[in-house]
Amino acid sequence: MWKQVGEREVGKLKPHSFANRIKSNRISSLQLSNHKEIVSAHRGAVNSLQVDLTDGRYLLAGASDGSAAVYDIQCAARYEGGGLVAKHESIFVVDKQHEQGHKYAVSSAVWYPIDTGLFVTGSFDHYVNVWDTNTTQVVMNFKMPGKVYRTAMSSVAKSHMLIATGTEDVQVRLCDIASGAFTHTLSGHRGKMMVSGSTSNSIPGSQSSFPKARMLHKKAAYGNGTKHTSTTHKNKGSTSQRLHPGMLSSHDRATAHYGAVIGLKVCEDSMYLLSAGSDSRLRLWDIESGCNTLVNFEATRLQTSKGIQLAVTQGSSLVFVPCMSAVKAFDVWSGRTFLTFRGHYENVNCCWFSSQDQELYTGSNDRQILVWSPSRSVHAEVDERGGEALMSTSDQDNWSD
Amino acid sequence: MSSWNYAVTAHKPTNVTHSCVGNFTSPHELNLIIAKCTRIEIHLLTPQGLQAMVDVPIYGRIATVELFRPYGEAQDFLFIATERYKFCVLQWDAETSDLITRAMGDVSDRIGRPTDNGQIGIIDPDCRLIGLHLYDGLFKVIPFDNRGQLKEAFNIRLEELQVLDIKFLYGCSKPTIVVLYQDSKDARHVKTYEVALKEKDFVEGPWSQNNLDNGAGLIIPVPMPLGGVIIIGEETIVYCSATAFKAIPTRPSITRAYGRVDADGSRYLLSDHAGLLHLLVITHEKERVTGLKIELLGETSIASTISYLDNAFVFVGSNYGDSQLIKLNLQPDAKGSYVEVLERYVNLGPIVDFCVVDLERQGQGQVVTCSGAYKDGSLRIVRNGIGINEQASVELQGIKGMWSLRSSTDDLYDTFLVVSFISETRILAMNSDDELEETEIEGFDSQVQTLFCHDAVHNQLLQVTASSVRLVNSTSRDLCHDWKAPSGFSVNVATANATQVLLATGGGHLVYLDIGDGVLTEVKHAQLEYEVSCLDINPIGENSNSSQLAAVGMWTDMSVRIFSLPGLDLITKEHLGGEVIPRSVLLCAFEGVSYLLCALGDGHLFNFLLNLSTGELSDRKKVSLGTQPITLRTFSSKNTTHVFAASDRPTVIYSSNKKLLYSNVNLKEVSHMCPFNSAAFPDSLAIAKEDELTIGTIDDIQKLHIRTIPLGEQPRRIAHQEQSRTFAICCMKYGQSSTEESEMHFVRLLDDQTFEFISTYPLDTYEYGCSILSCTFADDSNSYYCLGTAYVLQEESEPSKGRILVFAVEDGKLQLIAEKETKGAVYSLNAFNGKLLAAINQKMQLYKWMLRDDGSRELQSECGHHGHIIALYVQTRGDFIVVGDLMKSINLLIYKHEEGAIEERARDHNANWMTAVEILDDDVYLGAENNFNIFTVRKNSEGATDEERGRLEVVGEYHLGEFINRFRHGSLVMRLPDSDVGQIPTVIYGTVNGVIGVIASLPHEQYLFLEKLQSNLVKVIKGVGV
Repeated sequence: MWKQVGEREVGKLKPHSFANRIKSNRISSLQLSNHKEIVSAHRGAVNSLQVDLTDGRYLLAGASDGSAAVYDIQCAARYEGGGLVAKHESIFVVDKQHEQGHKYAVSSAVWYPIDTGLFVTGSFDHYVNVWDTNTTQVVMNFKMPGKVYRTAMSSVAKSHMLIATGTEDVQVRLCDIASGAFTHTLSGHRGKMMVSGSTSNSIPGSQSSFPKARMLHKKAAYGNGTKHTSTTHKNKGSTSQRLHPGMLSSHDRATAHYGAVIGLKVCEDSMYLLSAGSDSRLRLWDIESGCNTLVNFEATRLQTSKGIQLAVTQGSSLVFVPCMSAVKAFDVWSGRTFLTFRGHYENVNCCWFSSQDQELYTGSNDRQILVWSPSRSVHAEVDERGGEALMSTSDQDNWSD
Repeated sequence: MSSWNYAVTAHKPTNVTHSCVGNFTSPHELNLIIAKCTRIEIHLLTPQGLQAMVDVPIYGRIATVELFRPYGEAQDFLFIATERYKFCVLQWDAETSDLITRAMGDVSDRIGRPTDNGQIGIIDPDCRLIGLHLYDGLFKVIPFDNRGQLKEAFNIRLEELQVLDIKFLYGCSKPTIVVLYQDSKDARHVKTYEVALKEKDFVEGPWSQNNLDNGAGLIIPVPMPLGGVIIIGEETIVYCSATAFKAIPTRPSITRAYGRVDADGSRYLLSDHAGLLHLLVITHEKERVTGLKIELLGETSIASTISYLDNAFVFVGSNYGDSQLIKLNLQPDAKGSYVEVLERYVNLGPIVDFCVVDLERQGQGQVVTCSGAYKDGSLRIVRNGIGINEQASVELQGIKGMWSLRSSTDDLYDTFLVVSFISETRILAMNSDDELEETEIEGFDSQVQTLFCHDAVHNQLLQVTASSVRLVNSTSRDLCHDWKAPSGFSVNVATANATQVLLATGGGHLVYLDIGDGVLTEVKHAQLEYEVSCLDINPIGENSNSSQLAAVGMWTDMSVRIFSLPGLDLITKEHLGGEVIPRSVLLCAFEGVSYLLCALGDGHLFNFLLNLSTGELSDRKKVSLGTQPITLRTFSSKNTTHVFAASDRPTVIYSSNKKLLYSNVNLKEVSHMCPFNSAAFPDSLAIAKEDELTIGTIDDIQKLHIRTIPLGEQPRRIAHQEQSRTFAICCMKYGQSSTEESEMHFVRLLDDQTFEFISTYPLDTYEYGCSILSCTFADDSNSYYCLGTAYVLQEESEPSKGRILVFAVEDGKLQLIAEKETKGAVYSLNAFNGKLLAAINQKMQLYKWMLRDDGSRELQSECGHHGHIIALYVQTRGDFIVVGDLMKSINLLIYKHEEGAIEERARDHNANWMTAVEILDDDVYLGAENNFNIFTVRKNSEGATDEERGRLEVVGEYHLGEFINRFRHGSLVMRLPDSDVGQIPTVIYGTVNGVIGVIASLPHEQYLFLEKLQSNLVKVIKGVGV
């Protein structure tokens, strides 16, 4: 650390590389945080997590009890354990008690990408709600033909305010916040939409909404579920063949996964796409050509009942994948398991990586949101005087209910 | 409120990042083009050396610079790409002697990850395309059309993700690149690709080579007829082409720069990380390469770029030390080196730390920087002053006075230089060969000391000696008339102008003479009560040949008096107070305002406003210019009058905006000065120093002057201690003996006048000095140096152990007084309420200075605060602590005395990776961050909610384009109580590129004015490359 600071000072290490190096150092030491905890306000499985894209400060979570909550992950509400453990409580919760709240599970909750004034939730009660963050009131809602599995907004689009929704139905609908109507209906799937790529990153050519839609389309195509058909059946998906001539020519098998695609994530540089399938496979796709890069990700076991939310680090070197009750970090280019995070008691549904703080947030069926942060040496924390007392309190903290 | 800030560069970047040679300004002129981060300099090669042509700023940090010659052009064009993905093509317009932007554009992409190893910009030797590697996995191509115009750019996917270098191969029918890359198993390979312009894709190239040296990092393409490439590794050098593969082992080194010597590419200069210059020769039989040979030539600065100019002259550009112009000799010198350094170009970068000191205690700040890296580390003393460019000098001892004389009244130039010694007077004159030679003026008495000389009207010259006043015809050089001092009296001091002479003899007699045509007339005599110490009748009124007033300085009552002329009636008497006699008085006028300057024997200077008509003095002010007696003289430079104060701290007094300003001259002690405006040395000054006479021109007032103290090791931190008059530096010495990097760390104590090492304290193995501070503690009057260290171990990503060492300076030695172990690196130390505040990894820790029972002292921890990622930079003011975090912007903490605790008060929630912080005032804090920006944040104490109070509001943002390592309060200009400049708080910053800049907190109106001026300037002035 000091050495890198010194190299940056003399200009040997470029500031940009300095930041990357420090970040990757810190990421490699990620562990269950010993100084930061999120007090979960949910009484059901946590299905969706997202930190806002503008301030990097507010974590939005959606859970199966129909609740969505926002947590301030920068400023702690209170400190425990002698001031060493920061407790982050929810700023507000909208749940079934809320008159406009969702009746059933919230499957997806995403921030409006431009500011934190709005957020969007999608629920199994067939509604997509657009919330005003400050008043916590629904300012608009969209009725969908079936359960909403995923909602997504583009973070780079300047000309539109569209929410892409994937539902039980076969079509992806683009809901326009500006007009309150569906602007596009994208057909192409045969099963229900378990996932839709979260367009958290820049996508080339979003000048008009048309190539944008195609982009979404392309990604959604992978999410062609096979849940109502046999899981062992080879999902051919003629639509996906039609949409991907590139794949057809360069890839003799049009099938991405032998099973439902349960998770998608675009790499930070927008050049690669990661997909997770219910066949417990991860694949890395070159977006431009549509080719499988044939990176062999180490075998793991993924849950098959629900979609999972993947996360990638800023340099796209690691991908975080919920693997049953654990979360694994794979090296994107070699496919090797880099880190395994065990802490949840039940299946993990979602994870979000904050590259600003190099922290990983995971949400699970055990209703908890855990914070994984770069390890902080405890001995430096403990005061020389009164260290004893602090040690005992931190011991207590290790016990959980 | 310091929220209106003005950022300005005081010293331009000096760090040379790129250079290239070509025919840029004309087909027959050879140019050296140097890139200094944000500036481009174009030099012309002349038989006399390098001649600077232009120096232009580029809006952006230059990432690549290439010269190229499109098909059919007679001279080269310059291609520049910046770190923010802008590019331009520049051409020289010989008619206007200016740069024309031929093409410009943006090469950024919305996808892709910026490369970690820096941007690559290369041009096909046959000028078919420009290749750029800006993002991992993408190779951008800008093709040229047949007329040499740029066409639309496109990207080609590059499979290799970790690219180390890309170059174009020579002599290929299709443009072919060679890529040096690292695979996922950290092995390094080269591969070639043909660029298919039509298909916009790569085609597998003619050859590839796997598993090279693990340290291979540089490709040198070899021109035809040999072709192929040289790949420079850390332990081997390889020649590689489709048909040949030759390798030689080398001494382990990291080669950073190369320069091609011959156009046929058979010889190259290589410079490694230790600054050793090697010559690499490709031996070949006709077109078949038979081997490689490498030979050590000598040592230069650690090069970042090498350009072979011509005739064995080489430009070595450096990031870490001074850039050099060297000559490669055929025969080695006594030390076996073939390298002869002809010229050094000062480079302050990287400025890692600096301190602002006032060593002369005269309100003139100086910056002492920790500059350079590795073996090129140095301390640089930067100060604002006036430089004398020496033109000629003669060894002459014991000069007592100097005057220049003209050969006739109408002559524009001075001919004679009268130099007076204790017992003789010599006259120097310019001969027809423009050489200074001794001559004689027959009418002058050259056997005695001259007290004063002057040109007089009617082509006459005047000499005053102790016994007489002699009037001499300047053409015949014969004595016309003389006035003899009454017997028993000798002239002590004298002064004159073209028509008047005033002299004082012993016993307080003041005599006034008039100069006529060939005759001296004693007009008036006055008897004063004390002896006269100095006189002046410099004409400052309407008549430029005579004065209405005379200024007289007196012994005994220490007064300065104004007499009227010719009556010698006392008009004003001003007691100077104190015990020191006035040694020099001067009547002068600046910008139409008349002043009386009066210099004392102890280096102080009084200035008074002088009312010319009444002779009244007002507005008395006193400044200290030195410690020795001062002699005042006027001179003019660029048609403005200035005053030269010769003393141990020679100073030029000038006026700007009707305010007197004082500027140091970069000379040591000067005893006398006189203007000597000869035809050969126009606008020059003759300066008498201890044992030599120098003739030099004066350069622009308000320029920074730099003195270098080479250390041979890298200084990291510096602190100055007023009490012991010393500097302490943390430095790092690199061992060059073994192959492994061995580093040793020291604390060194330097004398603040001589800059000599006077004491050294070695640190433990693996122990680095991270911070140093000179401070005092509560209940202890001594000053101490506190040093924070870290044990840096390879296996730890963050140091887990460090020390705080407290030293006292006793008898010029560093004496360890106390030592405290810490649980991490001590990144910063601050004196805080008589205690010591340390930033240790993520924690702030406050230590008390305790007296133990046995009388010894120790540091005892009092309280701490954590909640930072890493608290890298800390500043304090009162009870407030401002922390610059590694990646969490600025944090404001407060120390609560009652509770004895540190608490967080507010923070900036932006994710800025900090590089420096400073406190501007109670509410506004200044920060610099990783992306070359600076910003100010304001504490919001009046916020309505806790949330608002807890937030530092960003009030100013500025893209500086420079990486700031340190802010310090201070100023480079002399702060005098009578100037407005003294009222504007300023902060100085130092950057990696050697820039010294100033951030001044301006009043709002002034800020608005400058902002408006700036936006209007932008409309008028068109930058280069935009």
